[in-house]
Amino acid sequence: MIKRSLVMFVILSMLIVGLSIGAYAQDPEYGGTFVFGRGGDSVGLDPIQVTDGESFKVTQQIYDNLVQYEPGTTDVIPALAKEWDVSEDGKTWTFYLRENAMFHDGNPVNAEAVKWNFDRWRFEDHEYHIGGEFIYYGYMFGGFPGVIEEVNVVDEYTVEFVLNKTQAPFLNNLAMVPFGISSPVAVKKWGEDYFKHPVGSGAFKFVEWQEGNRVVVEANEDYWGGRPYLDKVVFRSIPDNAARFMELQAGTIDMMDGVSPEDVESIKTAEDLNLLLRPSMNVGYFAMNFSMPPFDDPLVRKAFNHAINKEALIGAFYAGLAEPAKNPMPPSIWGYNDAIEPYEYNPEKAKELLAEAGYEDGFEFDLWYMPVPRPYMPQGKFIAQAIQNFLSQVGVTANLVSYDWGTYLDKTRNEEAQTYLLGWTGDNGDPDNFLYVLLDKTNSDNAYESEELHEVLVEAQRTIDKDKRIELYKEAQEIIHEDAPWVPLVHSTPPLALKPMVKNYIPNPTSTEKFKDVWLDQ
Amino acid sequence: MNLNNPWFEAWKRLRKSKIGLAGIAIIFILVAVAIFAPLIAPYSPIEQDIMSRYQAPSQRHLLGTDEMGRDILSRIIYGSRISLQVGLFSIGLALVIGVTLGLIAGYYGGYLDMIIMRIMDIMLAFPSVLLAIAIVAILGPQLKNAMLAIGIINIPRFARIIRSSTITIKEDEFISAARVLGAGDFRIILKHLLPNAMAPLIVQTTLSIATAILEAAALSFLGLGAQPPTPEWGAMLSDARSSLQKAPWVMTFPGMAIIFGVLGFNLLGDGLRDALDPKMKNV
Repeated sequence: MIKRSLVMFVILSMLIVGLSIGAYAQDPEYGGTFVFGRGGDSVGLDPIQVTDGESFKVTQQIYDNLVQYEPGTTDVIPALAKEWDVSEDGKTWTFYLRENAMFHDGNPVNAEAVKWNFDRWRFEDHEYHIGGEFIYYGYMFGGFPGVIEEVNVVDEYTVEFVLNKTQAPFLNNLAMVPFGISSPVAVKKWGEDYFKHPVGSGAFKFVEWQEGNRVVVEANEDYWGGRPYLDKVVFRSIPDNAARFMELQAGTIDMMDGVSPEDVESIKTAEDLNLLLRPSMNVGYFAMNFSMPPFDDPLVRKAFNHAINKEALIGAFYAGLAEPAKNPMPPSIWGYNDAIEPYEYNPEKAKELLAEAGYEDGFEFDLWYMPVPRPYMPQGKFIAQAIQNFLSQVGVTANLVSYDWGTYLDKTRNEEAQTYLLGWTGDNGDPDNFLYVLLDKTNSDNAYESEELHEVLVEAQRTIDKDKRIELYKEAQEIIHEDAPWVPLVHSTPPLALKPMVKNYIPNPTSTEKFKDVWLDQ
Repeated sequence: MNLNNPWFEAWKRLRKSKIGLAGIAIIFILVAVAIFAPLIAPYSPIEQDIMSRYQAPSQRHLLGTDEMGRDILSRIIYGSRISLQVGLFSIGLALVIGVTLGLIAGYYGGYLDMIIMRIMDIMLAFPSVLLAIAIVAILGPQLKNAMLAIGIINIPRFARIIRSSTITIKEDEFISAARVLGAGDFRIILKHLLPNAMAPLIVQTTLSIATAILEAAALSFLGLGAQPPTPEWGAMLSDARSSLQKAPWVMTFPGMAIIFGVLGFNLLGDGLRDALDPKMKNV
């Protein structure tokens, strides 16, 4: 009898252990190196100095902001600031910092450090306002020093911002990746070279950066939010889409972005690969330069809007993972004006409009296309050829032009392109981040300078009442629709491919995310 | 017909060389396809149908369709025009400039020789495709600039070959005889030197056309040559990369076309080398 109960006991305990192991397998696991394959290298690792997603992908792991977005959304949740208040008039913001946050070099993240960062960004005569142009600060806070009038240290862990006018997207702006808080000691130590030696307070610490090849970060054991599950993250640059996909299949990388639409089908059917879709918050567009005839003529711009078949582009070059655009901002953002009647695909009408503008015999022009895959346009060259074909059917001839990516961006920013393809992924979920950043007369790259639009956009920035802002942005979209500075092409849903062992990866609409909660099922 | 004519001798020997004949046959096909492209090609090379991309080879599209839904066979057929054009134009350019420089350097010698040949050495010191990329980067990525670049990088080879032949030949007695009879430099170079240096030149030209086709394909592959929608073989390869796994035929057929074209000129070049080699006489 004793023997039997012993056997029973052993079996039972084995069962319990077995069950609990089974249950544990569903719980996050610590350890492992996560290798992420991407299309290009980072430009720099000082987040305030860069504007590209490849840099933000890395800096987001190393830095914390005062506030951050809840994973998968653009809702603001606490980060370095555990809570905050705003005054009645909307001009004074007080942030209460958590007291256990430390920079990777061992210095505390306190009100003094936060103030030092903002002073460095906003004052052009600051001793450490060096190493770049602080582009995003100017974009989001209206120049230098911009709307932030004062940053005051109230006590060691309380910091107060006084604005000179209300700014509705202020809190959302603070959560944007470029506004990660650096260790003042490290910035002072490295000066101009700080972008190669980033020190923040994030879940991962910087290890090394081999330019053009890889960036490595490792777990921060003392992170205020608890140690991340991963031991190490390696960001590898593999520019060629096909090569990157082959590496994923071979298992030398665990995850990749910039998936070719051609590969989406085979990822869906492959057993050892998963497909993740990033929530759509972008626009891919075809812009026409007002300073280069005949695109100063609204009839020509409208004709082009009628000449391009967006549905066909989506079917062919997005594996269906996109929707046609009629506005310059995506429908996933509040304030989207769904009442706008799109310019329908109608080559006949396009020809009529061209004839009305005096171009019944057509004309020749330059069409620039991006040399690299972008989330909003994975195959710029193919799309350019398809557009060239659509336009030839209404009698105009496009000559395709391209440059390497850096040159392309510089030249389009200098308004040197006659027409060009480009796009934008939102940073903070606010309409301002599309309409003002892309089309206001102070920012547009295609010499589109509408005084009427400028007034509406600036008014919307100043307004706090959300309903009123919605009205203003809808009006702005009507003005833009009528002026037709672009052919808005698509809002894409960028696909990501990963190994099934990668768990809890939640893609953000802003196109980069923190890896703190990602873990590997090894 | 004068049976002792060395060219006739060479032709007789070339006719016996299977390799050479195979080369001639391939080039003949290539040229015929290029000339009659509009008659042979089933579709227009640039007509798109983005609803039917990446179709596998079928009766409708013998070699399938590419990333823009264009007929690959038609594009390859029209592409032969571009490849031949590149080969003839760029090597023609290299030939004219290279031979002129080589003759001057070899015939006059001295400082002129040294200056010209050192410049040629500098050009040869660069990997040729790298030099071509640099030239195209300066001139702008277009097919005609790529042709120019390929022409330029091929100059030194021609200059070297013709210079060394010139140096050997100019010491021969028949040159002295011509000079004694009062022939000027110009006449000696054109009437006596050049024809006698012809054999290695012909071989080099044929082989260079093969390299030029390959180099043009490489430049277009890098996006520095033909611009869309031009049906250039190298550019076709480049655009097919994204579909390598999904639709391998899009990459395979232009690749085979390049192999075919290059092979033709290489075989002919080999055949000619044997045929024109005086040591092979009557063997």
